Amino acid sequence: MRIKAKEKDGITTAKVMAKHPMMSYAEAKKKGKKANFITYVIAKVGDEVVYEASTSQFLSKNPYLKFKFKGENKGKELVITWTDLSGKTKTDKKKIK
Amino acid sequence: MERRKFLGLGAGILAATMIPAGLSAQNYRETKVDVWKVKNEKGKPGVDAAIKALFGTDKVEDGKVKLKAPDIAENGAVIPVTLKAEGASRLALFQDANPESLVTVFDVPKNGIPDYSLRIKLQKTGNVVAVAEIDGKLYKASKVVKVTIGGCGG
Repeated sequence: MRIKAKEKDGITTAKVMAKHPMMSYAEAKKKGKKANFITYVIAKVGDEVVYEASTSQFLSKNPYLKFKFKGENKGKELVITWTDLSGKTKTDKKKIK
Repeated sequence: MERRKFLGLGAGILAATMIPAGLSAQNYRETKVDVWKVKNEKGKPGVDAAIKALFGTDKVEDGKVKLKAPDIAENGAVIPVTLKAEGASRLALFQDANPESLVTVFDVPKNGIPDYSLRIKLQKTGNVVAVAEIDGKLYKASKVVKVTIGGCGG
């Protein structure tokens, strides 16, 4: 996952690009493969959840996500985890600048 | 949502560590399996039905939600969308161009800001609809996005 997170005046803006084929059911059928796409994304700073999305097959390949949250978070780590249809999860972290 | 604010004050830390507490923090793919199956059929868009399945009501007013999406998308596989609604506790994105209607559901956490951007796929020209839950009421904004295949506008 490519993560950029910057805090300014108490608001952190995070931009994430996850690497995932996001193969929809229709695409999978055409290619004779199994559909698989990210279904859930959660971002935390410490124990606090700062972003949460339940997603579908209709997000673009290598999904780009941008979100904002409040707090004095400069220097803290933003931890992002996604789960996909096959049950696989991936976690990445980045220090908030 | 005064109840949430009250709980946030006192038991904030405790609530945060007990994440799947039901107030927020849920994976809608597990808790509301059927919402994802609501179809868009020819002549019968599934947006209202999907809204009802997700929020429990299809009573939605216009306004309070800002939805940004291109008028024309040259590439239907990568369409940038931004949705925001001040004071929203939940935001959801729907469309009537793909086989199923629901695209994404965002639960806005305590310090979250309801301002989200993402890139979506649309199989063809259609309506993109953003719905926000603010203080127990639903509001929406919608936009027609024209999808061209092969680069010729319109």
